[in-house]
This record gives sequence, structure tokens and C-alpha cells, in this order.
Amino acid sequence: MTFNAEVLYSIVASTLRSSVPLILAALGGCFSVRAGVSDLGLEGMMLAGSFFSVLGSYITGNAWLGLLFGMLFGAVFSMLHAVMHITYRVNASISGMCVNLLATAATPLLLNEIFGMSGKSPIVEAFKKPDWQWMNNIPVVGRILGAQNVLFFVAILLVIVSWIFMYKTKIGLRMRMVSENPHAASTVGLNVTAYKYFGVAMSGCLAGFAGAYLSIGQMNLFVEEMTAGRGYIAVVINAFGKYNPLGVFGGSIFFGFFDALQTIFQNIFPSQLVMMTPYVFTLLVIALGLGGSRGPAGVGKHVDN
Amino acid sequence: MIKNIDNARKIKMGSSFMNSAIALVISLILGMVIIGISGYSPIESYIAIFGVSLGTLKGFALSLSQATPLIFTGLAFAFAYKVKMINTGAEGQLYAGAMAAALVGAYITNLPSGVHALLGFAAAFLAGGLAALFVALCKVYLNANEIIVSLMLNEIIIFFTSYLANGPLKPPGSGVGQTKMIEDTAKLTKLIPQTQLTTAIFIAIITACVLAYLLDKTVFGYEIKVTGHNLKASNVAGINVSKISLITFALSGAIAGMGGAAMVLGVNYRFVEGFSSGYGFAGISIAALAAYNPIGVIFSAFLIGILKSGTITLNRTTSIPVELVDIIQVLVLIFVAAPALIKSIMSRAKKVRSKSSREEHMEVKTSDI
Repeated sequence: MTFNAEVLYSIVASTLRSSVPLILAALGGCFSVRAGVSDLGLEGMMLAGSFFSVLGSYITGNAWLGLLFGMLFGAVFSMLHAVMHITYRVNASISGMCVNLLATAATPLLLNEIFGMSGKSPIVEAFKKPDWQWMNNIPVVGRILGAQNVLFFVAILLVIVSWIFMYKTKIGLRMRMVSENPHAASTVGLNVTAYKYFGVAMSGCLAGFAGAYLSIGQMNLFVEEMTAGRGYIAVVINAFGKYNPLGVFGGSIFFGFFDALQTIFQNIFPSQLVMMTPYVFTLLVIALGLGGSRGPAGVGKHVDN
Repeated sequence: MIKNIDNARKIKMGSSFMNSAIALVISLILGMVIIGISGYSPIESYIAIFGVSLGTLKGFALSLSQATPLIFTGLAFAFAYKVKMINTGAEGQLYAGAMAAALVGAYITNLPSGVHALLGFAAAFLAGGLAALFVALCKVYLNANEIIVSLMLNEIIIFFTSYLANGPLKPPGSGVGQTKMIEDTAKLTKLIPQTQLTTAIFIAIITACVLAYLLDKTVFGYEIKVTGHNLKASNVAGINVSKISLITFALSGAIAGMGGAAMVLGVNYRFVEGFSSGYGFAGISIAALAAYNPIGVIFSAFLIGILKSGTITLNRTTSIPVELVDIIQVLVLIFVAAPALIKSIMSRAKKVRSKSSREEHMEVKTSDI
């Protein structure tokens, strides 16, 4: 493969493409952790989002309604985590894993029960790549952004909105207070449980969105276990980005790059070794001590009412 | 005093047994809904599942052979949980162990048969242990989340072993990703001909007994339990918490690795790409169902083995989904993990029942006065 401008364009464009699900899922993780709840269930919520967005699109024939369906069921799955951890005080790692395991077990079953298929779903209405002629006329940037799905722009908008919400609004400040010191938050009269539920529900919606991007954004069907650990990588990105929407955005682009490298290496190295790279890279980030940043002080702490 | 402690322990074990039993019953009832949606009669299906698994020799053997890797992965999770570490890496450790056993089985020759098989287990023990040790080192020295590191390592090990089975280790002429057949001397003895039940089940049970002995009767086991109960206190008491955590987690991985050896030396006779149907993650539910008790793991694994064997057999003639068992496993985990959830369900059920009998109570009370 010769290295020229074409290759560079395709690397940048596919870096952005692969970073979208990571941005969305890790952003969801931000909401969860910034409300004081661990975000280990992202993978399961994402997988649920992938499946149910396909189902929604299958029923309604509309990709946007499919997306809504995916977000809704992402939130439904997140409630398992919320109820177990917040209300019944189960260790958040265990309840997060319950969400992941439930989604892994439930999606093949539903695939079988609803579509009568195993492995993958039928093809459904998906998001089409926008055909913006005017963008192609802009040099460099136009070519890269023109290759993006409309959901890419929605994701960026969500990052900005989330940042403003968390750092510039009263509710955002209160939510962060719950994550830093739930006892103090409770003393000043905040409903700690409600904030926690809100954070987890938001994480479910955004992770569901991330999953929908994989199934009806990048492709047009659901494939078993299609999230392939991206939800776990999002957990690492969230810590890497210091639980801040902007940090998470940067981190996701960084990780998206290593995901995109797969497309370049796939003709050179055996496929299994190529598919290993994002995980190896994630481990390297952890081993270099970049993925272990401490979250807010009150994560996992409960307040007795 | 000692008698009191013994009593307290009995009460605790009793309540965790009740907790598990109730969780299991609720999960099986919810499983009925799935069977019902699939268009089969729930009760008849359960009778058929248990009937096939326990009533026929083949089914019984299949239940036990399905339970074998589950005992190993269940023990792995339960053991690591004693120091409050969560080993989600059993799946990867299983693959690492299987590859190690397959290499020893295929490429070392001229060994007496028993010795060769044991050497395969030892290699798997080492491979699984090393994989877990890496995770534990990240946890202890980098304060990394062991769950995430384990899950990443799972993917790496699964992809890497798959590369080996499709590339350098693939025997010529083979269509799927697998390694060379192991030597006859490395194969485990079949307990019942034409089934997959081998002596691996004994190794699994012995491992459980050894762990139970280790935990209850040795200083090391005592230190593990103290570490798990209270990190700060055990540091003050002079227990080297880092060392205990590292050794415990590495042993946990080693046990999961032995599960891989059981599959290679007893069932497939070679490393086959994608051989595990989620045994590693099933271990979490099995350990929780057994209340993290090594001996209990044998029974909970057998129970899941019965369900698996039954659905596999029934799936040949009906379309009862095999995923049913996976769902039941997760439900069991949810209900066992949240005893308070069960309590609230039970109290709600009681309220409904007592509503009907409340009037009788009223009568009794007034007559008492």
C-alpha cells in the first residue's frame, strides 16, 4: 500500500467513524460516574441499544424511530443496574456485569424468538450517508466530514450539551456534588437517589445511542455480540478522559484511531492479530497508568434515608 | 465460644442456602415464561429437561460432562471473590489453559499416559495462572480495575489463540481453526463409553475439596478470608495484602485454566477455535449460587449442567431455545446478588396472602381480648 493523501484521508475519516460509538458510550459513562454510580454496565446497555434499534427500525421502517427505540431500551437495561445497585445496594461491579450478561444472553434469544434467525437479524432501514455536495467543495475538512454519518454531528452536539449541563447548570453542579459527597448532598436536601437514577438512565440512553450507531448507523442489521467490548473500552476512555465530556471526546478520537488502524493493517497481518490491536492498545493505556484515574470521591457510596 | 461461632456459621450458611434456593426457584419460574413464549408447555418442558438429564444414562453423563468445566470456572470466580476481587477473566484463562494443554498433549511424546495428562493440566494451570497474575499485578500496582483488564485480556487471548490455531499450529488439510490432535497418552479415560464424561470430573471435585481445605484449615486460607473481610484491618494485623491478593487471583486463573485442559484432554482432544460456550462467564453465576463455597460450586455447576444437558438434548427434536439456560444463569445471579430484592418480593407475596387471611386474625385477636 502506497502512502499518499488518499490513505491519510481514509485514516482520518475512519478514525472519526470508529470514535462515534466510543464518544457516545463514554459520554454515557460520564453521566453515570458523575452521579456517583460505576459505569461498568455500558457494554450491555450498548448491546441492547444495537438490537432494539434494529427492532424499532424493523417495526416502524424509520431509522430515527429505530434510534429512539434503541435509546429507550438502553435506558430500560440501565434500570436493572440502577435498581440493583442504588435501591438494593448490590456491589456496582456485580450489577453492571449483570446488565452485560443479561444483554449477551437476551439478544440471541430475542433474535431467535422475534426474527427466527440466529447470528444476525434481517436487513432494516438504516441511516444513509448524507449526500452533501456543497461539502465536497471545501478542501480537506469537507472530504473528511462529508464521509461522516449524520449521527457523527449529533454526537458532537451531545458532547457540548453534556459539558454545558454538567459544568454550567445548577442541576449539573448538584449531580456532581452527589458523586463527590453524597452525604453532604443529602444534608443540604438533595434527593441523592433521584440524581443517581437520572445519571444511570442518561448513561443507558447514550449507550443505547452508541449501540444504535453500530447497528443502524454503520450497518443495517444486528449481528450477535456486535459491540465486541467497545462498552468496556468506553469505561477505560471515561477514566482516561477524567470523567469530563470534553476529555472523553478527545480520548475517544485517540482510541478510535487504533480502531481505524485495523482497516489499514488488515491486508498485511493475519486478521486475528489485527482485531487484537484495540484491546492491546487499551491494556497499554492502562499499564501506562493513564486509565486508572480516580473518579469522584463518592462513587459507590450510599446514603441512608 | 467455639460452639457459638459454629452455630453462627451454620445459621449464616443456612440463610445463604435459602437465599440461593429461592433465587433459583424464581429464576426457573421466570424461565417458564421464555418456554411459554416459544410455544411449549413450561411444566412439561421442565419435566422433560430434568427427566432426560437425570433419567437416562447418556443424559446424566452429559450433565456431568457439561458441569466439569463449569466447576473449574465457578471455583475460579468463587476463590478470587474471597479477597473481594472479581475475576471476569475466566473465559480468557480457560482458552490460555486449553492452548497450553493442547501443546503439551500434542508435542510432548513418549510419556506414560497418566503422567502426560497430568502434565497437560499442569501446563494449563500455569498458563491460566500467568494470565491472571498479569491482571492482579495491574490491580495491585497500578490500581487498575481488574474487571476491565480481565475483559481486555480475554479478547486478546481469544484472538491470539485463534491466530495460532488458524496459522502456525494448524495441521495441514484442516478446514477449521484447530491444533494437532493430542497423543493418546494425554487423553483422559472415559468413565462411560461413547459419552464425554471423563476422569476430568474427579480432578474438578478434588480441586474443589483442596480449595475448601485451603480456605478453612490453613493459615493462608485464614489470611485470604481476613483480607477479603477488611483490607485495612488485615494490613494492620501484619498480613501482606498485596501478596495475598496476587497469589489468590493467580490461583483463581490457574483453576480456570485447568477447565480448559479438561475440555482439550477429555472432550475435543485438541484446541478448537471458539470451543467455549461462555463457560467463563457462567462461572460467575455458579459461584454466586453456591454462595462462594467451593463444595457448593460442585452442586451448582451440576445443576446448571443438568439444565444445559436437558436443553441440548431437547433442542434436537424441539425448538426450545438453548439460550434459556444462559438467561436462567443471569437471573440466578441477579437474585442471589440482591437478597433484599428477594425479601421484598417475598414480603409482597406475603402481603397478598395475608390480606385474605387478615379477617381471621382479627377475629382471633378480639377473642383474645
